[in-house]
Amino acid sequence: MSTPSNPIDPPLIRLEDVVLGRGAPPPRFDVLRAPLLGRLLKARNGRLLLQIPFLLVAVLLVYDGLTGPQLAPQNLATVTVWIHTRGLVIVAALLLGNVFCMGCPFTLPRTLARRLSGRGRRWPRALRNKWLAVAAFVAFLFLYEWLDLWAGPRLTAAVIIGYFAGAFVLEALFAESPFCKYICPLGTFNFVANTAAPTQITVHDRDVCRACPGKECVNGSARVLGCGTELFPPAVRSNLDCVFCLDCARACPYDNVALAVRRPGQEWTAGAPGDGVWPRRWDVSFLVLVFTFAAVSNAFGMVPPFYDAQAWLAGALGLTSEGARLALTFVALNLALPAVAGLAAAALSRALVGRREPLRVAFSRFAPAFVPLAVAIWLAHYGFHFATGALVIVPVLQNFLLAHGLTWLGVAPNWSLAAILPGEWLLPLQTAAVLAGFAAALFAGNRLARRDFDDPAAAVRAFVPWLLVLLALAVAALATFNLPMEMRGLS
Amino acid sequence: MALRKARWLAWVALALALLLAGGCRRAETTDQAPDVQLTLSPDPDTLVVGPLRLDVTLRDASGAPIDGATDVSLRGDMSHAGMEPVLATAAGQGNGIYRADFTWTMAGDWIVTVEATLPDGRLKVTQFEYAIQPN
Repeated sequence: MSTPSNPIDPPLIRLEDVVLGRGAPPPRFDVLRAPLLGRLLKARNGRLLLQIPFLLVAVLLVYDGLTGPQLAPQNLATVTVWIHTRGLVIVAALLLGNVFCMGCPFTLPRTLARRLSGRGRRWPRALRNKWLAVAAFVAFLFLYEWLDLWAGPRLTAAVIIGYFAGAFVLEALFAESPFCKYICPLGTFNFVANTAAPTQITVHDRDVCRACPGKECVNGSARVLGCGTELFPPAVRSNLDCVFCLDCARACPYDNVALAVRRPGQEWTAGAPGDGVWPRRWDVSFLVLVFTFAAVSNAFGMVPPFYDAQAWLAGALGLTSEGARLALTFVALNLALPAVAGLAAAALSRALVGRREPLRVAFSRFAPAFVPLAVAIWLAHYGFHFATGALVIVPVLQNFLLAHGLTWLGVAPNWSLAAILPGEWLLPLQTAAVLAGFAAALFAGNRLARRDFDDPAAAVRAFVPWLLVLLALAVAALATFNLPMEMRGLS
Repeated sequence: MALRKARWLAWVALALALLLAGGCRRAETTDQAPDVQLTLSPDPDTLVVGPLRLDVTLRDASGAPIDGATDVSLRGDMSHAGMEPVLATAAGQGNGIYRADFTWTMAGDWIVTVEATLPDGRLKVTQFEYAIQPN
């Protein structure tokens, strides 16, 4: 029996999980076996059917971004990327799964590069972790703020072009889809957010996989590429690193791969005591904390105290460069603060229960509990922009067509179209989202504590330091959303 | 299959090229009267969220007021995408002044674009930037 040609990166995927049958449970409902939809998704060009419209949109955005009006509210690139994509990414994660990675057009040239260049070299071992993803994620948030990407159609178009170029070059040079797996900031966002998703790749029968000679799901076949991020479906226990490309399902000669409907966030608390589904890795756990702290800081960047803090930094430290001030702020809020809070909580948690275990284990244990709060805060923030501006796409598209002499959508843009929800609903909805996220974090944290500690009192003591961090983040988010929002971008 | 996908992409690129070539973008509205001075005066000038009056003043190269301009329109956009623009029309008050009721609907950075058709038919276009504070 042959094994996958490339080693599978432990411990997100562990071969012993396959041997011991510890992947996700068999699906109760397999989306891929649903009438019509299943056939469509598994069709040879099923992903392409989603990618082609996304590609057309991307090309259109680049075109309008580079040649269209340079006022962000009037340009398709800025409206679509910063209002619709961001809002829908988080909604899709909660309702469907990682459909944005599934339809990602940046991987179209990547696929060509992969075919043209063969299998390529292995991604350097030192970089086969999430540290680079953490850095790229924070760097992207910094550039977004520093360069006012939301206010720049040309810059937004440049970001799209950069994504295409990055995916193509890295795929041409390396195997293992390093751009998706180790770098892409949007993919990193999607990976973490979609651990909340109601769907996940799994298999119907692990025995079929054990006996499978070709492991086409990973190795690919003459007809279909194998999994780009080298996940082995019977061992998949998490949506981390899964781009939902469904190449595994297309490649499987036994029709054994399933896109299972599951309880949202099931993976956060699944697993045996001391052997949870989530890896006990510094990089993955720190990524989750950064994802959560960045959710708050990203929203905080739009309220008056943020600008007061920037002015204070300029005066007190003499930092005249906006870039330097923002870099300092972003490193402090998105890297230093989660590191200090996480290490302190882990050390205190370990001390309170008196268990001799590596700090890494204590640091990682409750990381999954942060995801629901983080997703809720991102939803409250990006949902606000989407709710207040979703319909702006109509007049912007009308304006675009009229600029090209096309009157398909009328002879004048209707600029009064903007919000899809009344303004007075937004704060209550944001508050409800954050509270629901906090409640889910409490639920997950409690289950994680009870899973890993037999003594209920020890479980409570282990969780309390983390609970304080979660509480502080929730309060900070609620306070931020209660402040008047400002939309800056003319530095 | 690579060839098949490449063919797909080629068709898509061709379709886009045809679409774009078939409907060339019209030139954006530009200022046809650089010699004319257009100023904008907020009243009150505290620049906080809420209603206000905006006075557009038109003067020729010699500083003489220009009356009789038509279609004096104002459009306020936030720097961030996704916000409904504020649209207003200014009415002539004499002495080159045109007045409009306006509202800063949100704190943040605004770009106000003023367009006026001058009596000689030329279009005057000027943009102004404002940083609006919360009320």
